[in-house]
Amino acid sequence: MHEVLLFASVPVHQHHELLQQLAGLTAMQPRHCLERRLIFKAYRKPGLVAGRTGASQDIQSGDLQRLNKMLNGSMYYTQVVGPVSEKDFGSATDSDTQMDGTDETPEAPRYDYERQPWKLEFRDIPEAGTRSAVTSRQMSSSTLPSGDIMPTMSAWGYSFVTEHVVEGDLFIHNDITLFLQRVLHYPAGQEPSQPRQQMPALKDMTPLEKSGSYVLQASITVQDGSNQETMKTASQHLFGLREQLKSAVRLEQADRLSLDTRAK
Amino acid sequence: MSTLTQEQIKVLEQARQRLVQLTRSLGSLITSLHSSDPLPPWSSLQSQASIISNNLLSVSEQLSEQRDLFTSLVAYPSPEYPSRTQAPTLEQLLRTKLDPRVEDWVARGRAAGTEGGLSQSTIPSPSRLVEAESADHKLSEAELAQLWEWAPLEANQEARRRNWGGNFTLEERESGIQNVVTGLRRQLEDDLGSEEEESEGEGEEEEEMDIVGVHRKSVGGGLEFDIAVRHPHPVQPFVPLDDILKYMTTGRMQ
Repeated sequence: MHEVLLFASVPVHQHHELLQQLAGLTAMQPRHCLERRLIFKAYRKPGLVAGRTGASQDIQSGDLQRLNKMLNGSMYYTQVVGPVSEKDFGSATDSDTQMDGTDETPEAPRYDYERQPWKLEFRDIPEAGTRSAVTSRQMSSSTLPSGDIMPTMSAWGYSFVTEHVVEGDLFIHNDITLFLQRVLHYPAGQEPSQPRQQMPALKDMTPLEKSGSYVLQASITVQDGSNQETMKTASQHLFGLREQLKSAVRLEQADRLSLDTRAK
Repeated sequence: MSTLTQEQIKVLEQARQRLVQLTRSLGSLITSLHSSDPLPPWSSLQSQASIISNNLLSVSEQLSEQRDLFTSLVAYPSPEYPSRTQAPTLEQLLRTKLDPRVEDWVARGRAAGTEGGLSQSTIPSPSRLVEAESADHKLSEAELAQLWEWAPLEANQEARRRNWGGNFTLEERESGIQNVVTGLRRQLEDDLGSEEEESEGEGEEEEEMDIVGVHRKSVGGGLEFDIAVRHPHPVQPFVPLDDILKYMTTGRMQ
């Protein structure tokens, strides 16, 4: 699958108004999202041979070919995304206070790392030289087993890099997904070598961008990226949206290298 | 009844010339209104109207100067007149009464004239209806319908010309809002502050104006205007968008 994207930087003072404008435009209420995003980096396992070569009679299916290309081509950063809710945050401090208190609040929802659902999101580096004013890239998402993801990922040759939380609001406008998001850092401390089992309080999370600004991402997912016609239509739709939002935000193509997922 | 002198023929000829000019300029105005789409610019309409008005003036001057002559003249066809081919013209010439249509025009013109110089405005017919209303307070159904048809369009056009906000127009404000006849019993608040405040707050008002950002269009020439949100404490992001995206992709800023 492919996706075409446009981005815009949204200063924090404009955030509330833009939410309202988008709600008006899309005729829907914003869907608030919180996501844990774990970033993994592929490494080449020693002794892994790059694919079967020369077996021309061994006809590979398209998916398998792509998979082989992904696995044996250059190495990529990939993300593991897990939806969380506000209730999941702050469970660590809660359990601390409950330790010395009574055990009368067993119904208080705790963050259960073992049941955290995950999704693998692969994003290719945006296509170069498309001459189009949108960012387009190959993408693929698939569901992962819930719970501790580390064994699975390391078995596939990925090492954990870092994690952050993305908070934002989601809108759907026809075929366009609008995500007004910002990155939240975990409270400063030692950088763990694996995903956190406990979540800190949401108020302790600090935005990556100190002023608290947001990023608006408008994207359209295209099933068949090789079909020039559908890619063009998708771009046209994004341009239409860009015109509509022109007086509010300036949606632009992102710098290709800033979305470079290749691991060097 | 004597034959016309050379002098009198000359006068007639002059009147004819002026009428020809008048019909020509009217004709050209009509064709320009009919044929050009969109309508010709107002400046050209204005100049044509002033030409026509000049023509009318000279015709009416001529007519009133030579009134004695023209009223005493009687037209009759001479034997040589080609009445077979030019019958309609002949009929027009031999009329003793005005054409009913023309009679209407004249009546309307007279009525407008007797109402005094006040109503000498170049107005579309509905406004004339308004005058008629003030004259005898009676409008026919058709006229009323016409008025209703005209009013919303005209009001809308007038409204579009203005920049809305507040209870009073700038003109009203300038001439003093206490003089405005609103027809309302309650006191309208002047939401931009009272007159006195305004006079001292001239500078403040300027600060309160909307901030409009101008930047060059990315494609092609020309300027684009941003209606930026007015915010007391605008905070621009410190981290460029690219770096944020970079962090989101790889977990690193560089």
